[in-house]
Amino acid sequence: MIEVNNLNFSYTKNPFIEDMNFIVQSGEIFGFLGPSGAGKSTIQKILTGLITTYKGNVKVNNIEVKRHDSSFYENIGVDFEFPSLYEKLTSRENMVFFSSLYKKRQDIDTLLESVGLLKDADKKVSDFSKGMKSRLNFIKALVHDPQLLFLDEPTAGLDPSNSRRMKDIILQQKAMGKTILLTTHNMYDATELCDHVAFIADGKLRALDTPRNLIMSRGAAKVSYTYMCNGKEVRNEALLNSIGNDNMLQKLMQENKLLSIHSSEPTLNDIFVELTGRALQ
Amino acid sequence: MKPLYRSFAMFIKQIFKDSMLFMVCIAVVLTAFFIRFGIPAAEKFLCSYFNKEAILLNYYLLCDLFLALMTPYMFCFASALMMLTEYDENIASFLAVTPVGKKGYVISRLIFPAGIAFIVSVIILSIFSLTEWSVWMIIIICLLTSVSSVIITLFLFSFSHNRVEGMALGKLSGILMLGLPVPFFLTNKFQYLFSFLPSFWIAKLCISENGIYLLLALATSVIWISIIYKKFSRKMI
Ligand SMILES: Nc1ncnc2c1ncn2[C@@H]1O[C@H](COP(=O)(O)OP(=O)(O)O)[C@@H](O)[C@H]1O
Ligand SMILES: [Mg+2]
Repeated sequence: MIEVNNLNFSYTKNPFIEDMNFIVQSGEIFGFLGPSGAGKSTIQKILTGLITTYKGNVKVNNIEVKRHDSSFYENIGVDFEFPSLYEKLTSRENMVFFSSLYKKRQDIDTLLESVGLLKDADKKVSDFSKGMKSRLNFIKALVHDPQLLFLDEPTAGLDPSNSRRMKDIILQQKAMGKTILLTTHNMYDATELCDHVAFIADGKLRALDTPRNLIMSRGAAKVSYTYMCNGKEVRNEALLNSIGNDNMLQKLMQENKLLSIHSSEPTLNDIFVELTGRALQ
Repeated sequence: MKPLYRSFAMFIKQIFKDSMLFMVCIAVVLTAFFIRFGIPAAEKFLCSYFNKEAILLNYYLLCDLFLALMTPYMFCFASALMMLTEYDENIASFLAVTPVGKKGYVISRLIFPAGIAFIVSVIILSIFSLTEWSVWMIIIICLLTSVSSVIITLFLFSFSHNRVEGMALGKLSGILMLGLPVPFFLTNKFQYLFSFLPSFWIAKLCISENGIYLLLALATSVIWISIIYKKFSRKMI
């Protein structure tokens, strides 16, 4: 579906995106995870044909994107990081206009309903809250039922219930066989949604695997426990896969002296810090 | 082509929704009426007052030229302000990833308004001109004023960050019109200080109907357009 070979690009004279290579399979959700300023939006702008001054090969549906024609976009839906909507028009007017640009169209009220905006269909976008705008912006990418979706930070700035709703629609789109590329700096969203995650830091691709493999390949799960010693609460950690060697823990268990015990797997953030030396937020 | 027309129709709709921009377009018609009826009336009054044969009469051609430049200038000004609004709303880059495309966006915001301005200015000049014009001359002059007005759109869009700045720069871009009166008032070699302005050559062409001035008017326009287009194109993404 998407093939990137030796991609190089920079806005300035200093190198930024260098030697990037990856493949996105049809029907998967592929995530770019990285802190703000890492270059996630820039990569999406290259993949969607907005930036054409890159070096290397970027093939989307077997077309080199810098040489695309306008029919290229009939099958691609894009949701920018920032809303791109006519503020003076109502949400329905916006949707009617944008869907009129495509050959294939979806029912607009159904789309509005799916993100809970049907009751606001005749309100002007300028009167919308930030979250409402991002939801409208998101369904704007779906008006022509595209096979390939580019979503830039689709859940950023949304309250938990709306973020849930958005993620459900993304998963639903995947179930319909769509290929989805999304960017996020939220490790939970990446873990939950993505089939493959690419770690991006400073314009470089630092790791690429399934969220599960990324978590498992590094730092094994840990067990941490607490107990009383000389009137103070002490905390200790042991690796789950060598827990039998922890004599202290054995003793505490036999004497029923444990105050608390729980296991924790490393999060994508832990792995990200370990691999790139940078935190996600 | 269909997505292109759709996006242009939306552009026009937005201009009409925006009362300020609508006023800009109305101003064209008001100016036309002022020139057609106000100037001859003023001439009659001045001549009888000062007891002369002609005072403004020598400048009727300049008034007509102003009329020919006015329409494209105002249309392109309105277009630039609307583009700045669309830029603020991220519409420009979004349309670039729809079947409209970046090229389509540029055509519908630069070429279409200039094209319509050409037709309108031909009509206005035919109806409201103070002097006699041949059909060919009307077409050539309006074509040149329309092409040179594309510079306005490019300039305002590329160099202002928002509408307010666009309005302010709009006044500055009036300089581009400044070339029109020059050949009427400066007949020595100092007039060529203004040779970087397409409007200067347009006025020269009108006065002496020499083909070389047509080429020079066209060349200066194209040079300006290609210089600013780079910056314009970079701002688009
Ligand atoms: N149009 C632009 N011109 C110059 N620099 C830019 C432009 N857009 C983004 N940048 C810079 O490129 C870097 C990456 O930006 P971006 O791709 O938006 O990161 P992310 O989406 O991961 O937060 C940032 O340092 C940003 O300042
Ligand atoms: Mg971004």
